[in-house]
Amino acid sequence: MDMDMDELELLEANYQLHEDCTELEPPEPYPEEEDQHPTGSKSPPSTDHQQSTETQINGHKRLRPEDETAEAPGPSDEKRSRIEDEDWLRYSPPHQSDPVVEETSADLVEEKIVSRYASEIDGDFIPVTAPGLGDRVYAKISRVEMEERPQRLHGTGQSQSGGLISEPIDVLLQRLEQEAFTRALQASSRGQSDVILPETPVVHERLWVDKYAPNSFTELLSDEQTNREVLLWLKQWDSCVFGSEIRSTSDEVLSALKRHSSITQHQKLSESKFPRSNRGSRWNNEKIKHFNGMNHENTNSKSVQELSNNSRSTGPPEQKILLLCGPPGLGKTTLAHVAAKHCGYRVVEVNASDDRSSSTIGAKILDVVQMNSVSADSRPKCLVIDEIDGALGDGKGAVEVILKMVSADKKSDMEKENVNKEQTSGKASSKKGRKSASLLRPIICICNDLYAPSLRPLRQIAKVHVFVQPTVNRVVSRLKYICNKEGMKTSSIALTVLAEHTECDIRSCLNTLQFLNKKKEALNAWDIGSQVVGRKDMSRGVFDVWKEIFQKRKPKRQQRTNNSCGIISSEFDSLHSLISHRGDYDLIVDGLHENVLHLPYHDPVMQKTVKCLNSLGVSDLMNKYIMRTQHMSLYAYQPVIAIIVHRLVAQVQRPNIEWPKSYYRYRTMLMEKVDSLKSWYNTIPPSISRHFSIKSFVEDSISLLLHILSPPTLRLASLHLLSEKEKNDLAQLVSTMVSYSITHRRIKADPVTGNLGHQAADVSELSFDPPINGFVNFQGYRSGHHVLASTMKQMLAHEVEKQRILQASIGRSAQLTDGYNKENHASLRLETRRLQSGRVDHLGASAVNNGKSESMSNPSSGVLPNLGTGNTPVSTKLNSSGCMRKPSGGSSSFFDRFRKLGKGSQNTAEAVRKEATSERDSRPLVFKFNEGFTNAVKRPVRVREFLT
Amino acid sequence: MKAEGRIRIEKGKAAGRGRERVHDFPPLLPSEESKMLWVDKYRPKTLDQAMVHQDTAQNLKKLVAEQDCPHLLFYGPSGSGKKTLIIALIRQIFGPSADKVKVENRTWKVDAGSRTIDIELTTLSSTNHIELNPSDAGFQDRYIVQEIIKEMAKNRPIDTKGKKGYKILVLNEVDKLSREAQHSLRRTMEKYSAYCRLILCCNSSSKVTEAIRSRCLNVRINAPTDEQIVKALEFIGKKEGLQLPSGFAAHIAEKSNRSLRRAILSLETCHVQQYPFTSNQIIPSMDWEEYVSEIVSDIMKEQSPKRLYLVRQKLYELLVNCIPPEIILKRLLYELLKKLDAELKHEVCHWAAYYEHRMRLGQKAIFHLEAFVAKFMSIYKAFLIAAFG
Repeated sequence: MDMDMDELELLEANYQLHEDCTELEPPEPYPEEEDQHPTGSKSPPSTDHQQSTETQINGHKRLRPEDETAEAPGPSDEKRSRIEDEDWLRYSPPHQSDPVVEETSADLVEEKIVSRYASEIDGDFIPVTAPGLGDRVYAKISRVEMEERPQRLHGTGQSQSGGLISEPIDVLLQRLEQEAFTRALQASSRGQSDVILPETPVVHERLWVDKYAPNSFTELLSDEQTNREVLLWLKQWDSCVFGSEIRSTSDEVLSALKRHSSITQHQKLSESKFPRSNRGSRWNNEKIKHFNGMNHENTNSKSVQELSNNSRSTGPPEQKILLLCGPPGLGKTTLAHVAAKHCGYRVVEVNASDDRSSSTIGAKILDVVQMNSVSADSRPKCLVIDEIDGALGDGKGAVEVILKMVSADKKSDMEKENVNKEQTSGKASSKKGRKSASLLRPIICICNDLYAPSLRPLRQIAKVHVFVQPTVNRVVSRLKYICNKEGMKTSSIALTVLAEHTECDIRSCLNTLQFLNKKKEALNAWDIGSQVVGRKDMSRGVFDVWKEIFQKRKPKRQQRTNNSCGIISSEFDSLHSLISHRGDYDLIVDGLHENVLHLPYHDPVMQKTVKCLNSLGVSDLMNKYIMRTQHMSLYAYQPVIAIIVHRLVAQVQRPNIEWPKSYYRYRTMLMEKVDSLKSWYNTIPPSISRHFSIKSFVEDSISLLLHILSPPTLRLASLHLLSEKEKNDLAQLVSTMVSYSITHRRIKADPVTGNLGHQAADVSELSFDPPINGFVNFQGYRSGHHVLASTMKQMLAHEVEKQRILQASIGRSAQLTDGYNKENHASLRLETRRLQSGRVDHLGASAVNNGKSESMSNPSSGVLPNLGTGNTPVSTKLNSSGCMRKPSGGSSSFFDRFRKLGKGSQNTAEAVRKEATSERDSRPLVFKFNEGFTNAVKRPVRVREFLT
Repeated sequence: MKAEGRIRIEKGKAAGRGRERVHDFPPLLPSEESKMLWVDKYRPKTLDQAMVHQDTAQNLKKLVAEQDCPHLLFYGPSGSGKKTLIIALIRQIFGPSADKVKVENRTWKVDAGSRTIDIELTTLSSTNHIELNPSDAGFQDRYIVQEIIKEMAKNRPIDTKGKKGYKILVLNEVDKLSREAQHSLRRTMEKYSAYCRLILCCNSSSKVTEAIRSRCLNVRINAPTDEQIVKALEFIGKKEGLQLPSGFAAHIAEKSNRSLRRAILSLETCHVQQYPFTSNQIIPSMDWEEYVSEIVSDIMKEQSPKRLYLVRQKLYELLVNCIPPEIILKRLLYELLKKLDAELKHEVCHWAAYYEHRMRLGQKAIFHLEAFVAKFMSIYKAFLIAAFG
C-alpha cells in the first residue's frame, strides 16, 4: 500500500504537471471547454463524479481513452485527449502495467535533476509548478529504453516526505473539490467571459462551432507560421511573468515546438489510442510537409531569441502588444486563447460586449497586468481584447489606455536604466517609485480591420500578425471530420464549394452544416448559393476594393458560362456588391482619382481618361447633391461609377495602389493658409484690412506686394551712406511694413523657403513674418522676386519694431486725449502728428550720424515747446483726477526729451561704427513705456550718463 | 419670438471661457496715410472723391440725401470698387464716426435643433454699422443668417444722437452663401427693415436668389475701363509727384486685367523697382498667372495620362495657395486659347464652360479642373493626329 501511495502521489505530481504544460482546467473557463463540461464545473455534485474519476485514476489506472466512449467525457478525459500531442503522455500505458518500474524510475529522477533553471538541464525537460507554493522547477525528461515506452518523465515537487508531493492525497483531493466548487461559483456568478452557459443538458444541442473548437495548440486550423509566432511572442514574456527562469525562453519554446512537431513520429501510436486523432492523420501529411520548414524556423528563431536574450537578459519582448487581425471566422480568438493557455496564462477576455470606456478598461488592464490573483488560480493573467476595432468611440478608449501604458513603460525603462547607471556610479537613488502603470503581462488585441482609423497608433507599437485564410484542403478535411463525427453525410466536393463560398470562414461553414444537419438535408454542391448560406456579407478593406476595381479578374471560373454577357454581368454583380458593402464612396472615389492615372492602360487620344474623370466628376456632383438634399437613397448609384472606371481602365497586371493622400493634404494645407491669412488680417488696422479679402489678395495683390516689400533699389549699405531719396524710400518701406504689420522674423529654414532662393544653408533665416511669400511659392516654380539680403532684412525688422513702439505710444496718447478733451484733441493731434513727422525725420537723422543733427533737431525742438503747452492741461487734468494713465500723456514729451538729448552725444560714438547691426545697437534707446508705472522720478538726465 | 431664448451670446470676460477678441487699434492719424500702399492711400474716402464710378456715387449720394436708403446689392467683378463705394456710402450716411471701426472676433453659440454649435465670426463694426462675412462659416452659414444676423438686425441702434434711425449691416460675399442661408435672409430683410438696412456685396448676382435681388436695389459696379484706370493712375502720379511717360499708364492698365487694385499696385511696384519710369519698363506679373502659363506649356508639350498627373500636382499647388478654382480655369482657358488654332477655340471654350458649370455644382474642384485638362488633351491630340497623321 505504501507503494500504492507512492504511485498515487506520482500520479498527482503528473497531474500537476499537466496543468502546467497544457492548460488543463482554466479557472476562467474558456468558453468551449466550459460548455463541454457543464456538469463538471457547474455544481458541487458533479465534483463527486470528478472525484470519483480521480480516485479511479489514483486507485488503479489512468483513464484510458477507450473510456471516453464508455462514459460522458469528464474533465480529466478531456485533458488527456487534448494533450495527446505531448509526448509525455505516451508513457501512460505502462503506468498500470508496470508500476514498479515507474517507481524506480521516479527514484532515478529524484537523484538526477530537478533544477530551478532550465538551462542547467541538458536534454529535454519539462516545467513543473509545485501545487502549494507555486514554485516552478524544471524536471529532466529521461528516456529509458523499453519496449512500448519511448519516454518516461517524472516531475517532482519539493518533496519533503518520502513521496513526491508535499501534501497527502486527501488534502489534495479536498482542495480539488474546493477548487471545483469555487470555479463553479465563479462561473455562475461572474460570467466574465461571454459564455452563455448552456441550459440544455443535452450535449448534442450545442453549436458545432463551440463543440469542435480546437483546444490545444496543434488542433489549430490557422496558419502554422502565425501560430508559431504568436506562441513565440507569448513565450518571450516568460522571463518577465514567471520571473525565475530567466534564460529559459528560447529553450522552452524550442522544446514546446519540438514536442509539438515530434508528434508526427509517434502519430501512429496515439492514433491507435485516441479516437480523436483519426483526423490527426490527415493533418500529419501537412505537418510533415511543414516539418522541414519548421526546423529552419526554429533555428532561426532560436538564434534571434538568443541574441535578444543576450542583449537583454530579462523583461518582456520589444513589442508588448500583439495585434492579430484578419477576416472573421479564421480563428483569431481561438488562437489567442489556446496559445495563452498553452503558455500557462489565464485568459481574461474583454470584448465588444463589455464596457470599454477608457476608465473601465484602464482598471481592467491594471487588474490584469499588475495584480496576481489571490483566488484559487494563481496563474498569471493574459488579457485578450477582442474586436478592438469594433466599437469606435469606446474602442478608442482601450487603445488610448494601452498606448499610455506602453509609453509609460518605455519611460520607466529609461528611468530604470538611468537608475542603474546611477547606482553603478555610486548614487543609489530611491526614487524608483513606480507611479505609472506598466505592462507586466501580455496583451493580445484582436481586430478585423487592421486599417481601422482607431488602430492607427496601436499599429505602430504592436507586433502585428495578419491572418491569412487557411487552405481549402485543411478546412475541408476538418469539416469532413466533424461531419463524420456528427454522422452527417457530405461529399468533399460539396464541402469544398462551401468552404470557397464562405472564403474559408470555418465558423460560417460549421454553422451552415449544423443547420443543414438539423434540417436533415444533405449539402448540395451545386446550389450552395441558393441554399441556406447567403454569400458572406463581408466588407473588404478599401485597398482590396481599389484593387478589384483596377485589376481585371482572370477569366477562370467564368468558363462555365460561355457567353461573354454572363461574364460581364457576374463581374458587375461581384464588383457592385463589393463596393456597396464597403460603403464609404467618397474615399473610394478619391482613391480612384489618385490612382487612375498611374495605370498602364492604352489610351492614345485620352478618351478613356476623359471618360474616367467625367464619371468621377459625376460622382462628385452626385455626392454634393446627396449631401445637400439628404437623399441618401441616391447613394445606390455610386458603385456604378466605380464600375464604369473598372470597365475602362482595368488591367490584368497588379496595380500599385496608393492611399489618396493628396486631396487631404490639399484640404489641410488650404485651411492652414487661410488661417494664417485671417490671423494676419486681424493684426492689420481695420481701416486697411476691411478692403482685403483672401481671394483678391491672392489673386491681385500678393505678388506685387512682395515686389514692393523687397525693392531691388534698396542698397545694402550702412545708413549714413544712403542718399536722401534712398532714405526716404527706406522710411516709406518701413512704415508700409508697419501699417500692414509685416516684418521679418527669424524662422527655421525649411525646404519651402529654401525654394524661393534664400540661402538654404543658413540654419535660421529671416523671412516675412506672416509667411506671405509662401503664397507664390509654387512647387517647381521660380518666382522672379528680388530677395533682400539678410542683413537688410535684419535692419528692416529692427526699424519696424522701433516704429511700432513709437506708434503705440503716440496712439495711446492720442487716444487718451480723445476721450477727455474735445478742444484739446484737435490741437494735440496736430502736435502729435508734427511730433511724429519729426520722429520720422529722426529715424533718418539717426541713420546719418553727424552734421545733420543740428538741422534735424530744429523741427523737433520747434515741436517741443508747443508740445509742452499743448500737453500740460491734459496732464494736469489727469493728475487731478488721479488717473492711472497719467504718465502716458507725458510720455511722449519725456521720451522726446531723451531723444533730443541723445543726439549730440552720439556724434562721437557713431562715427566709429559702420556696420548696420552695430549701429543699431548704438542708436538712441528704444523706449518702451510701461503704462501704469508711476513712481518714476522726472528729472533731466543725459544719455551720456547712461553710456558711461 | 423664438429666437430670443435660443441665442446666447457669450461675452468673453463675463463668462470667463468664451473667446472674444477685440482688437483695439489706435485711430488712424492722417499722417499715417503716408505709410499705406497707394491702393489704400488713394482710396476715395467720400462719394464725392470717387474716381471711377462717379455717376453711381452721385446717385448713391442723392439716395442718402433723400433720407431713404433701401437695401442695396452691389455686384461686380473684384477690384472694381464695390467695397470702396460701400464704405464711402456709410461714411456719407453716418459721418466721420463711421471711420472708427473695431474688429471683433467672437464665438457665438447657436442652438441648432438638438445640439449647440459654436460659430466663430469676425465682425468689423462701428457704432452704426456692422460688417461681416457670413460665408466664413461654410456650411453653417444658415445659422449665422438665421440667428446672428437676425439678432443684430433686431437690435435698434442705441445711439440716439445719430440722425439716422437705422443701422447698416454689410454682408460680404453673399454669392457664396448657401441657398438655405439666402432663403432665411429674405425674411430678415423684410421684418427688420424699419431700423436696419442691409448692404450686400458679391461678385456675381446670378448666384444670389431672385427673392433677395428683388428686395434690393441692385447696383452694378463695372470693372473700370482702361481709360478710367489710366485716369486714376495719372491722378496718383500727380499726387505723388511722379512723371509718367506717355503710354506707361496705358501699359499698366492693359496688364491690369481691368482691376484698379492691381493697376495701382503695379504702379507702385514699378516705382519701387525703377523710378524714372521708362515707357517700356517691365511690369511685374502675377506669380500664379506665370505658373498657369507654365502648366499650359506642359499641357501643350505632351498629352498623356502621365502628363496629366503632373498637371494635377501643379493644379493642387495653385489650389493650396488659396487661388479659387474658377479663376484657375479661366486663366487656363485664356492661356490655352492664346496657343490654339482658330478652329479649336470654339470647342475648347465650350468644354471650359461645361466643366466650370460642373465645378460649381460639385465639391471637389480638382476633379473638374483635371477633367477639363484631360478633355483638352484629348481634343488637341485628336486634332494633332488628324492634322499631321
